[in-house]
Amino acid sequence: MMITWMFGAAILLPVLSGLFLLLRRGKIQNRRLKCVGIFLVMALTALLAVGLICSPDYELTVWRLTDTISLTFRLDGLARLFMGMTVAAWTLGGVFAFEYMKHEENEDRYFGFYLIVLGVLLALDQAGNLVTLYLCFEMMTLTSLPLVLHNMSHEAVMAGLKYLFYSIGGAFTALFGIFYLFANGLTGSFTPGGYLSAGTVSYTGTTGMTLFVLLLIIVGFGTKAGMFPMHGWLPTAHPVAPAPASAVLSGVITKAGVLAVVRVVFYMVGADFLRGTWVQYTWLTLALITVFMGSMMAYKEQLLKKRLAYSSVSQVSYIMFGLATLTVDGFVGGLAHFIFHSVIKDCLFLCAGAIIYNTHRTRVDELRGIGKEMPVTMWCFTIVSLGLVGIPPFSGFVSKWYLAVGSLGSGTGVFTWLGPVVLLLSALLTAGYLLILSIQAFFPGADFDYADVKKHEVNALMTVPMILYAAATLLLGMFPGTLIGFIQNIASAVL
Amino acid sequence: MNFVQNFPCFSIVLCMVAGIISTPLKGKGAKRVTLFIVSLVALLSFVTLLYILFTGTGFTYTMGRFPAPWGNELRAGLLESLLATVFSLVVLCSLLGGMDLIFTDIAEDKVNLYFILVDLLLSSLLAILYTNDLFTAYVFVEINTISTCGLIMIRESGRSLIAATRYMIMSLIGSGLFLISIAMLYGVTGNLLMEYIHVEILELAASGQYQVPLLVIISFCTVGLAIKSGLYPFHSWMPDAYGYATISSSAILSSLVSKSYIFLLIKIFYCVIGFDLIVQSKIVNVLFVFGLVGMIMGSVSAIMAKEIYRMIAYSSVAQIGYIYMGIGLATEAGMVAAVFHILTHAVTKSLLFLSAKGLNEASGRKRVYPALQGAAFRNPLAGAAFLIGSLSMVGIPTLAGFISKLLFATAAIDGSQRKMLPTLIVLEVSTILNTIYFLHTVVRIYTPVGAPEEYKDVRIHPTPGRIGALVALILMNFGLGLFSQPITDLIRAGIEMFA
Repeated sequence: MMITWMFGAAILLPVLSGLFLLLRRGKIQNRRLKCVGIFLVMALTALLAVGLICSPDYELTVWRLTDTISLTFRLDGLARLFMGMTVAAWTLGGVFAFEYMKHEENEDRYFGFYLIVLGVLLALDQAGNLVTLYLCFEMMTLTSLPLVLHNMSHEAVMAGLKYLFYSIGGAFTALFGIFYLFANGLTGSFTPGGYLSAGTVSYTGTTGMTLFVLLLIIVGFGTKAGMFPMHGWLPTAHPVAPAPASAVLSGVITKAGVLAVVRVVFYMVGADFLRGTWVQYTWLTLALITVFMGSMMAYKEQLLKKRLAYSSVSQVSYIMFGLATLTVDGFVGGLAHFIFHSVIKDCLFLCAGAIIYNTHRTRVDELRGIGKEMPVTMWCFTIVSLGLVGIPPFSGFVSKWYLAVGSLGSGTGVFTWLGPVVLLLSALLTAGYLLILSIQAFFPGADFDYADVKKHEVNALMTVPMILYAAATLLLGMFPGTLIGFIQNIASAVL
Repeated sequence: MNFVQNFPCFSIVLCMVAGIISTPLKGKGAKRVTLFIVSLVALLSFVTLLYILFTGTGFTYTMGRFPAPWGNELRAGLLESLLATVFSLVVLCSLLGGMDLIFTDIAEDKVNLYFILVDLLLSSLLAILYTNDLFTAYVFVEINTISTCGLIMIRESGRSLIAATRYMIMSLIGSGLFLISIAMLYGVTGNLLMEYIHVEILELAASGQYQVPLLVIISFCTVGLAIKSGLYPFHSWMPDAYGYATISSSAILSSLVSKSYIFLLIKIFYCVIGFDLIVQSKIVNVLFVFGLVGMIMGSVSAIMAKEIYRMIAYSSVAQIGYIYMGIGLATEAGMVAAVFHILTHAVTKSLLFLSAKGLNEASGRKRVYPALQGAAFRNPLAGAAFLIGSLSMVGIPTLAGFISKLLFATAAIDGSQRKMLPTLIVLEVSTILNTIYFLHTVVRIYTPVGAPEEYKDVRIHPTPGRIGALVALILMNFGLGLFSQPITDLIRAGIEMFA
């Protein structure tokens, strides 16, 4: 009973306060009071979410749509992992936005939808069956759209539409796969290990068709994760949003696509069903293409936020690659990379936001010597960049290690060695497109004129989230044991 | 005989009486009479529905003193009374939602005529639903056509006259084919009451007589009603008719009129010809193919439309394609999906038309998209209603449209293997096309940038009647989405009553 109330409160509190803020937009004069209110809502939601995370597993059926379809929420290890990341990223991004949004208009609308998306994501993380997942997925797309549209310029509206059409197109592609699975008897809630491999339900679909719809689902939900060939929206949509929104879009919302794929592959169908099939090889191929292509595009890109967005395209497919190996190590590496990449990419976007907020510079070549102006920001940037490249003791190393081990032990023919090779190449490119920034920021060269450079760092509301993220990158890299152990528990149940 | 069994007959007659009473009245009086009678009919139909649910069987009602097989009969089953309830509710909401425009679009001395036409239309809709006699069906199909033409052209603007003419021509071709098929049927079987024809046809089929005439009958009847309901490629009258009539007419026409013909067709399939014979005749495959083409072409035209009403009208073409596709699957599940989609489309399309009217009103009645930029902020209720209607059409769970799509997809997967893939693929493509035009419009109305200066400060404060209409339709949308199981069970039971 207590759990039901906490569950309802964790989702409704941010949604209702977001709606309240939207209805009262522009009418609350006292900005400090408003920000404190928003912070309290986020903190309370975070507390409730932590309470849920610490409670034992549960399954709640909220509504029965038909005899076989219900709206069900359940808590398991995977849900805990995603919920934890979501509230952490949301709270830090929110604090950052209190300062950042001063220079944007319509901040009430921004915070309103920001809170609503938080509620929707918490529901999505706990979705207990495919229809619930699909419902939350669509709601997430629709409610996060205003964050992309935020500044309402022509460019933003076009980017928003692109985001909308790609996401909904992807979701519908997946939906028809879901319909197929449903109509053939796969109606239960998510179970570790899935139904088909275990043969626990009478399933009437043919193997060929089932594999085909699985590919549809992977590509469809993979749209949200920016996986090739449906990646086109991501580099357009993420950079036009305000920086804290870009951070959570890249850091958390793209991972919803990963969550959905994990739920279908490992919790509905079962990894054994997919192992060694053409779908697995297609999935591996798509993931590797995305990894490489995203890095190349990021390397060539000159706009800072766009470069980071391309980097997300590449990095989220690391996770996809790990999952596609269908091995315990690959799974662990993928989910660990989910956490690490969220932390790192959030921080990178916040750094970019801080730079834009402070100096209005958006291009990479304008950032020479900025390390002297904004040392804290650039130090954080450098630390997390090292993490993303995968240099020990920073966190990215750990996940990439597991990814490589998973790939080598997956028995997938050419992919066993091609995977690690592409990952290494991509890591080199990552170094090329991120570390070059740190180098130019701190060592602008002999001809650089220091005369008119003054130190003007952003204030604590902005620096503290970045410092926390940077610290997390370091600490998770040095002491990954608890996290890895937690993920290994999930992995051993599903594989 | 229980008193409740009179209700179907009462509701048809009451509508006609309302029309007669309204003749000498002025517009306001006619409006009161009509609203009262329509609500009463909704209530009567609902009581009939409950009665049938309670007794568990449908009933036939003999009109006049001649018993079957000569007399005229009504027949009420679960499906008929359910549709009658929903139809009269939708008429009520459409009238309330567009009431102010009825009084401004139409010349003052003709307003009572408008309500007379609505009364006639409702009576013919109910008669088409309830009748057990093919010739009565034909008579009311014609009354339906005439009153519909009136409803389209009563606005007396140039385009609505052209639209009405177009509609009349197409519709009369359809009626002609339908009449020929009834005449031939009478010639072959010597009966007009549905169940008696059915018995004769079964004998004919068993003995192998009149195979070719039967095939001609089936195809004329199907094609005639398909033309009348606007199945692609017979849809050309739709965008003009729905786009330029006064908005209550558009809402009623798009959500109900074409659906009544579809329902009549379903009834003929089951009660007159017999479903097995229909499946053997392969006519369902024709409907299936045209349904699929309509789903795509309607959506493509909707994307290219430059005005919001035409967009919604073209979307109707696509939705009718969905319904025929469901019929064309030739399974009971497909039929249930088709009937469910009739309900979904009735409550959603009227909602969309009425909310589009609200948005349009906040944009200087320009209809075109650039004027609608940011309209949802100028008329928040209409904006929200349009958003919900769009989400339902697109197929978001908890709304009616999702259940329709689910039923179609499930029916396709459980049905014949040959039809499964085409159905799923077209359903998917059409859904994505739906998304493009509906959500693009939603984004427009919620994007105030580039909004024309002159309407920036317009604020529309809707009257209670309009709020009630929109809220009722929104609730019906959620109702169909959330309580779909009892409703689909009801539809399935209703279809089984036919057989």
